[in-house]
Amino acid sequence: MSKKDIYAQPKDNYHAKIVAKSTAVFIVCILLTLLCLVPIYILIVNATHTSEELRRNASQFFPGNALMTNINFLLEKLPEDASRTDKNTAQMYAGQFNVVKGYINSLIIAGCTTLLTVFFSAMTAYGLTVYDFKLSGPAYTFIIAVMMIPVQVSSAGFVNFMYQLNLIDSFIPLIIPAVAAPAVIFFMKSYMKSSFPLDIVEASRIDGCGEYRTFLTIALPMMKPAIAVQAIFAFVANWNNYYTQNMILKDQSKKTIPIMVSSILGFDRTPNYGVNYLCVCLSILPIVIIYFCLSKFIIAGVALGGVKE
Amino acid sequence: MSKLTRTLALLAVLAMSATAFTACNGGSESSNDSSSATESSADESSADESSADESSADESSDEESSGEETPSVDLTDDDPTLTIVCWNNNDLGPMMDMYGNENVKWEQSGTDGTSASTEYATFLGSGKDIDLFVAEAGWILNYITDEYALPVSELGLTKDDYKDAYQYTVDVATNENGDLMGCSWQAAAGGWAYNTDIAKEQLGIETPEDMQAAVADWDKFEETAGKLKDATGGDVYMTCSLGGMWQCYSTAIDSAWVEDGVINTATARDFAEMAKKYVDNGYVNPAIAQWDGDWFNYGVDGKCLGYFFSTWCLTQGAQLEGNCGTEGNWNIVVGPQEYFWGGSWLCVAKTINTKATAADFIRYFTVNKDTMKEYALSSGDFVNNKVAMAEIVEEKSNSNPLLGGQDQFAVLTEVADGINMSDSISKYDQSLKDSFLNTLKDEIESKDVDTVIADFVADATSKNTDLSAPEA
Amino acid sequence: MASAAQRRIKSISYAKYGYMFIAPFFLVYAFFQIWPLIYTFILSFKGNQSNCGAWVGLDNYTTIVLGQGLAPGAANIKAEFLQALGQTFILWFGNFVPQILLSLLLAVWFTDAKLKLPGKGFFKVVMYMPNIITAASVAALYVNLFGDSERYFVNSLLMHNFGMEDPIKFLSTPWPARILVMFIQTWLWFGNTMIMLMSGIMGINPSLFEAADIDGANSSQIFFRVTLPLLQPIMVYTLVTSMIGGLQMFDIPYLLRTGAQYSKNLETVAVFVYANFNNGPANVSNYGLAGAASMIIFVITAILGSITFYMNRDKDEIAKKKQRKRAEKQYKAKMKQGGLTL
Repeated sequence: MSKKDIYAQPKDNYHAKIVAKSTAVFIVCILLTLLCLVPIYILIVNATHTSEELRRNASQFFPGNALMTNINFLLEKLPEDASRTDKNTAQMYAGQFNVVKGYINSLIIAGCTTLLTVFFSAMTAYGLTVYDFKLSGPAYTFIIAVMMIPVQVSSAGFVNFMYQLNLIDSFIPLIIPAVAAPAVIFFMKSYMKSSFPLDIVEASRIDGCGEYRTFLTIALPMMKPAIAVQAIFAFVANWNNYYTQNMILKDQSKKTIPIMVSSILGFDRTPNYGVNYLCVCLSILPIVIIYFCLSKFIIAGVALGGVKE
Repeated sequence: MSKLTRTLALLAVLAMSATAFTACNGGSESSNDSSSATESSADESSADESSADESSADESSDEESSGEETPSVDLTDDDPTLTIVCWNNNDLGPMMDMYGNENVKWEQSGTDGTSASTEYATFLGSGKDIDLFVAEAGWILNYITDEYALPVSELGLTKDDYKDAYQYTVDVATNENGDLMGCSWQAAAGGWAYNTDIAKEQLGIETPEDMQAAVADWDKFEETAGKLKDATGGDVYMTCSLGGMWQCYSTAIDSAWVEDGVINTATARDFAEMAKKYVDNGYVNPAIAQWDGDWFNYGVDGKCLGYFFSTWCLTQGAQLEGNCGTEGNWNIVVGPQEYFWGGSWLCVAKTINTKATAADFIRYFTVNKDTMKEYALSSGDFVNNKVAMAEIVEEKSNSNPLLGGQDQFAVLTEVADGINMSDSISKYDQSLKDSFLNTLKDEIESKDVDTVIADFVADATSKNTDLSAPEA
Repeated sequence: MASAAQRRIKSISYAKYGYMFIAPFFLVYAFFQIWPLIYTFILSFKGNQSNCGAWVGLDNYTTIVLGQGLAPGAANIKAEFLQALGQTFILWFGNFVPQILLSLLLAVWFTDAKLKLPGKGFFKVVMYMPNIITAASVAALYVNLFGDSERYFVNSLLMHNFGMEDPIKFLSTPWPARILVMFIQTWLWFGNTMIMLMSGIMGINPSLFEAADIDGANSSQIFFRVTLPLLQPIMVYTLVTSMIGGLQMFDIPYLLRTGAQYSKNLETVAVFVYANFNNGPANVSNYGLAGAASMIIFVITAILGSITFYMNRDKDEIAKKKQRKRAEKQYKAKMKQGGLTL
């Protein structure tokens, strides 16, 4: 036996082991991927079936051809000879799940909150990093301390207070509080600490640049990466927020996508299963599209958020 | 530093001064002492009159019908749109179609009666333009307070207008001051609707008379349920939900849920014992909650012989059509007991600014015999006017295609006459009923009746801090 | 070296700009968060239902904690709150454990350079996806999948294709419903936790792994002796944030239902609070109880939060501060000395 054989054997074994393990891991990953995608697939497939088909067999695995029928039902475009029941049901669906209005309302709220959150958080983080003032330490401590307070804790008072200020059905209580986002400030401050040279501020002062202009024209552009990451998370979080929006928005014309989708769960009529699926489908569509366009970026952002220690 | 603290302090003071006076949604105390109700409504009306004077000339002209009957109040529309709030459009849809005024709009709050009972508080209180709202018997008392509603006398309607109405609809909507706070367009008598095909094939029952004989009382009802189970091997349930049976069972016995702050469980216990038998024998599926998706589907799927349907389930596009299809193979009979199911009242919202149209709309559907009769015939709803209903039954002018041409009014008129719920309702009723039916649904299969009742009482008293459990 | 301008700038106090920059945060926070919190605190001393608006002192707290109070059903209220708290813990624990195990396993695999795993990026993208979907939609989706009758996907599948006789009542029986919530929560969050842990593992100095490898450690030894101990801080952080998140669990337990009633078997403390203050007009709602329960959650959160706070401290800053203090001390001591010698 040559030396070569002695060394070769364990090495082959090792390789085989690696390959076996890789395969096993790959299979597990495939299974988990299926677990994540199959519910979404079923959702899409079932949205293309009529309620009648789903009534006969609710476990459809292949697409049907009733997508347009369901969409028309949701838009209250019924055939002439539709029954009174269908008309009433379609009217209820159209009222409770007015998808265009839902998108617009959600977009307004999520868009405005995102802008406010990133701008004011960057501003606060900037103020805390750049300026040395007596209360900067306590202020930052406060921000970290309140970072974890859940919104549920103050919701009873919040709703009452908004009710008294006559801000029910207004977007103000959903948008303005976004100015104060402790977690985002925390993130931005850590980011500034690692990648924002304070000399730049000094240099711009020497150039005669005012403090606000320095922040707007020099600091903000430099913080773009952090702002972009936080903007995406703020947008997603606000688009998905059900709890607060559900407490404040009561008028059908003000309701957002999460409230609309929850209202089809307690539907006071014979449910149209196909349309139900379509509603859920439509509710997640924009966010999923955004996600797949920006997925690399978002995942990098999550990873960044994870490195807290 | 001092600037910041000062600003913060100022802000806190501002916030506090805005809220400190009113602790919970303002008028909470007022429901207890209703003496202030008249005062405030009087203020309200005078204010409305003065504002109406300014703008009456041009806007009131389009409403002629209401003027002559209401000399005492000045009715004007400050806003052309009449907004009515309800949790569904089963009734309002056909009503608006028949009324034919494009300016009448329906707004939705809540997804069913129960959720409407909680949603209304913020919806009505948020100061938006609402003229009328629809309330159910189970929780109408929560909203016909001076915080949310005005007496209908604001629209020139008096109790005299309702001398032909079923008395209970007036009693329920009358507050402690004796003011009428709501007008009902329907008398919610209930019956037992059944699938004639199943009845014929499985039980050999051909006519409604035979069916009535087969379900004449609860013993017979149970006997028939047994026969049905034997015939179908348990594939077809006798009735769809315990919720429907409960409605029939409970309202027929005139017992209040709450007596002097104590929950009355006597009827609930009797019913739970009966329900236990039904569930153990497989006559009814306890998991079906009233109004959920499966409840709606059982009829069309042919999985139950019948439903307990009230009059408002029989209108066009309502539950009868939705659950049972349009083939006309259903009939209705009185069932084991005469009963009634809630009913809906049109109440005047405090924010009303379309008084003329509102008054006209209410008169059209709750006072005017002719239009009410027409509505009953066109929609199938059982209208709140004894004379109109008697005429329809006498003329035999109604036939419901969904019921194979049967006249449901003939079956239900007697039931409607007997409805009495004047002294038995409380503001906790909806909560207690929901609590009881939920406990029943979750536990009746696996636990004994004592546990079910104890759990129901525990749930009810933890949700309603005012109420106490009955003594053992 | 320093120019005149630089000196001038140094002498200007910029402190007021600092206050200006952070003022919007504090104003808005005070108005929309602090005051509602104080207001909730005040509500917790007021009565419920017919007693609404009246001062009742600590009654709501004694009711919830001790089961003694003005309400005839005080003991039942305590029982319900405790049940909600217990269920919150069960639901949290049942989703945290599988979630952290799964995420850890995946994170280790994905960062293992020896494994030849194609499509790593794709897996990460797909596994994170559930996390961005609206929770309300997720609830609606799972209700449509796991509803109690054959009208819904899973029961239909089992009954049509596998000959099952009666549908499984996933939503209305306690444990299946709870397990379903745990599953959904895990489904929602494992991708997120995985990515966090991955970045934690990648932050570990690679030479440590190499050294272990050279010393002949096998992969499980590396995992337990190197990776896990070094991941400890981030694991504790995940644990605590997840606990706080668990206390807020609302959307899924509240919405996993058919019909208008939330499921009692899934009632969490957040649902308890919401259901008590959101019951229609004030005279049929329990604002006091909702307030008191909120404050109890607040205290629990504060305890948990102080742990993360302690971990999140800016360590450099603290070190600097300590140094500064020490320097100050030394300076003062010197001055004293100097003073003495003078």
